Amino acid sequence: MNKLIKKIMSLFILAGVTYALYQNFSLMPEYQGLNEGLSSYIIESGLNDTGSLNLITAVLYDYRAFDSLGESTVIFGAVSGIVLILSRKMLPVSSKGLSFIVKRTLGIMTPFIALFGLYVITHGHLTPGGGFQGGVILAAISIIFSIVYGSAFDYRRYSPQTKTALETGGAMIFLGLGLAGIILEGAFLHNLGFLTAETGTLISAGSIPYINIGVGFKVGAGLAIIFYSMIQKTFEEDF
Amino acid sequence: MFNNLIFIILFMLGFYALVIKTNLIKNVIGLNLMEAAVFFWVISFSDIGGKVSIHKLGEEVTKFNDPVPQALTLTGIVIGASTAALLLTLIIELNKFSGTIDRDQLEGLND
Repeated sequence: MNKLIKKIMSLFILAGVTYALYQNFSLMPEYQGLNEGLSSYIIESGLNDTGSLNLITAVLYDYRAFDSLGESTVIFGAVSGIVLILSRKMLPVSSKGLSFIVKRTLGIMTPFIALFGLYVITHGHLTPGGGFQGGVILAAISIIFSIVYGSAFDYRRYSPQTKTALETGGAMIFLGLGLAGIILEGAFLHNLGFLTAETGTLISAGSIPYINIGVGFKVGAGLAIIFYSMIQKTFEEDF
Repeated sequence: MFNNLIFIILFMLGFYALVIKTNLIKNVIGLNLMEAAVFFWVISFSDIGGKVSIHKLGEEVTKFNDPVPQALTLTGIVIGASTAALLLTLIIELNKFSGTIDRDQLEGLND
């Protein structure tokens, strides 16, 4: 009986929130077009300011690079918390892995996955993509190692120490480029003017490609650490 | 307006999973569904029928979509993934200590 009352009250809350949302959105005006100050400026002079063809990357790693630094700090905080909670020992706990056919097939596919991830990272200022997206693709390789070949293989090939070093190295690249901006251009994370080249080439757009590489390694290693910590504990009970 | 309707449906599905379901993993799924609804709405709201805001060499495009909401959405996606991972970690630990992931069966929380 108590449960029934609870359920009915929850349904009332659901109906109320739906009604409130509906009322709110019926008052919502149509989109009025671009913001005159900010968005129009970025669209008009983003290419000249940063040299990056991809304006979203220009926003992320040039105009609002400080935000991206905070964002990668959030990933670092999540990784720290998860490792603190889950892993008391960093020894590998082996899982057997999948069948021979799956192992062979993914052995052929894995280099191409790595290539695609690196392509998405390094072409972040030219095509859709960037450090965060490519980093997630790189983390998929570690997940493939753990599931298909067993977590001991992942431990041997791509040990937690390597992952930690990659994550710290990515953060250091980001911070180092920020400090270089202070020294050379006078503001934290200012785009480095002397690195710019002809627009549309691979190494252009100042420090944006290098920040992309740093963020990519940081995100990839961070997600790999998260997955490794979780799968270690869940497999420990089976063996 | 169509995107508002889809936003309300997605958001309320997530809210339903968060409030009524008692399985904690379903709650996390509901939270992620609510996030996805908000991202969908922000992106669809800023779509003014222009091109994706990426220049192409040797091609003049006059009408771009707003790049700022898309950049902010990327930030939000990363934060959402981090919080989901942390919540799932806490659920793993909770399962180890209390043996259940149903929040109605947790002792000491139902009084």
